[in-house]
Amino acid sequence: MTRRHFALFTLVLMTAALIAACGGAPATTAPTAAPASQPATTPAPEGKKFTIGISNPFISSEYRTQMIQSLIEINKEYMERGITNELVIESADTDVAGQILQLQNLINKGVDAILVNPSDVNGLNDTLQEAINKGIIVISVDQELNTPGVYNVGIDQKEWAKISARWLAEKLGGQGNIVLIEGFPGHPANIARMEGVEEVLKEYPNIKVLGRETGRWDQATGQQVMSNFLASFPNLDGYWTQDGMAIGAMQAVMAANPSKWPVLVGEGRCQFLQLWDQRLKEDPNFETIAVANPPGVSPTGLRIAVNMLLGKQVDKSKLGGANGLSFVIPIPVIVTKDNFQEVFTTVCKDKPATYLLDGIMTDEEVQQFFLK
Amino acid sequence: MKQSRWQQATYRHPYLFALLLLVAAFIANALLQPNLLEPTTLNRNMRVFLPLILVAVGQAIVMIGGGIDISVGSIVSVVNAILATQIGLSGDLSTAGVMMGVALLVGMGAGALNGLFIAYLRLQPIITTFATSFIYAGLALFILPNPGGGAPSRLTAFYRETIILWLPLAFYVIALILLIWAVVRRTRYGRYLYAVGGKADAAYETGVPVRAVQFSTYVISGLMAALGGIAMTLLTGSGNAQVGDPLTLSSITAAVIGGTPLSGGAGGVAGPIMGAIILGLIRNIISFANVATWWQTFVNAAIIVLALAMPGIINLVRRRTR
Repeated sequence: MTRRHFALFTLVLMTAALIAACGGAPATTAPTAAPASQPATTPAPEGKKFTIGISNPFISSEYRTQMIQSLIEINKEYMERGITNELVIESADTDVAGQILQLQNLINKGVDAILVNPSDVNGLNDTLQEAINKGIIVISVDQELNTPGVYNVGIDQKEWAKISARWLAEKLGGQGNIVLIEGFPGHPANIARMEGVEEVLKEYPNIKVLGRETGRWDQATGQQVMSNFLASFPNLDGYWTQDGMAIGAMQAVMAANPSKWPVLVGEGRCQFLQLWDQRLKEDPNFETIAVANPPGVSPTGLRIAVNMLLGKQVDKSKLGGANGLSFVIPIPVIVTKDNFQEVFTTVCKDKPATYLLDGIMTDEEVQQFFLK
Repeated sequence: MKQSRWQQATYRHPYLFALLLLVAAFIANALLQPNLLEPTTLNRNMRVFLPLILVAVGQAIVMIGGGIDISVGSIVSVVNAILATQIGLSGDLSTAGVMMGVALLVGMGAGALNGLFIAYLRLQPIITTFATSFIYAGLALFILPNPGGGAPSRLTAFYRETIILWLPLAFYVIALILLIWAVVRRTRYGRYLYAVGGKADAAYETGVPVRAVQFSTYVISGLMAALGGIAMTLLTGSGNAQVGDPLTLSSITAAVIGGTPLSGGAGGVAGPIMGAIILGLIRNIISFANVATWWQTFVNAAIIVLALAMPGIINLVRRRTR
């Protein structure tokens, strides 16, 4: 072998080693794929431990971060009881094709159940069907899929939006000019929420919607959209917006500081409660509403998956949704002026500003969905 | 300066590095995922890679001709929107056939618009296709505002499950592309393409129809994007007006990994095909190597950057050691 060839050979080897190293290095926290290869430190009750896979196609949001973290945390509980292995987590910013690959890899790794937060309403159907055909339990968390055989676990997005919309309408006394800032148009959760808002507004014919714009579920965009609205409609009576954008929108109002503040709705994040607190110091009569959109529906979904794997029968009469396969999770926290101080001083006390008000059902609470 | 043998070899065979990388990635993947070589597993992977493969081939041809096409992703989205709305989940096969033909024409039309601006009006390729990408993306959103629609399962099953002689459908598509390319690059058109991409002025002076060749590359790219859109629709069985967005940058990355320089006049089609497969295999490797959740994006990007930089590093090292 000449020197030249040797150099080339070395480089190829280095590349291969690097790829291997990238894979191997963080293995301390990595999940194990094959249930059989797991050394049984705690004996499983019936010999076999279950492996649950997670597919998440979107990572640049606090919601998803909190979701993954609490999934890992809740799964630890079951690992200690010897029921499950480490989670197999497929989480990266990706498109529909990428999520299909995520799901295929989970199937290939032989997981017993898949929790999927879908990036598309129909695009995953065929792949999810393949998983179901292999006997894998598939649960769509956070967003409802209308796919036969796929269970859904999440809040009722429409009802969720209606709570704050109704509060706004009542607060305005049933009349006034408002604007709406919505999330991604076409996104299933956004569609459901805006339907809810429209239903509520139909009951209040004297509330006029002057404008409707997307804030793309992004704080900065929400701020920009609200600034534009404030400039175009200086006499705005109120506005409705959703989580992710309410902080930005309120910051825009703070910056503009109009003589008469519009009635506004907030979001269930500690950072928003901080703004609320700040505003209360300037205007003790200020009030708003923050309805939690809990990332905890995913760990709740994990609990449901575990119980199903343990062979418990789902009580179908407790389920709702288009397919009758949806576990509807109650909204855990609604912050109004009545409980603001309590939530702000206890829940948000030692949490980062990005923390989303959350609620995870306990294993006991989940039992209500199963036949005794 | 005298070229090293490595440089000569990579010049003559632009896909050489991609081939080495493909072999390395494939071995790494196969070690982590022992059933990778089973026909069903292979098929599952290839059917996901195929849309990008098709788009990357079109991108590479534009790049060989000295241009770049930022609008391919949006063309995929338009095609997906058309097919999902016009065929529908319960559509029959003859409508599907007609609409796929329409889709190909739309793709070529979109490419022709790009080519018109760039070749005949002499606008900058990167800015032009960036601008037209919004036109096509807007069109896709207009056709399909909310995700929905779809393709009948008989049709998607054909795409998803066809395996002939242990080889997935995608292999036959790739073989067909390589065969066509092998013929085309030996024709006069093939030589013109490299001449235009290498030095357009010199090509013009020697009587090469530079504008027509440049124009044609965008039409081909539009056609390949439309084929990619068809494949994507059959893979997902549904419509989403933003489905093609991520393919734009991936197609350029695949072409560059496959040895197609952004400066034009060199490269081929085999390399970008390998590049697209490599990008997919990297995602698999990360998945099966159990890379911790928070590191997945970082590791994925790091490997891609390394793959892009590797030919340069090799040249640098070889110059030093001589």
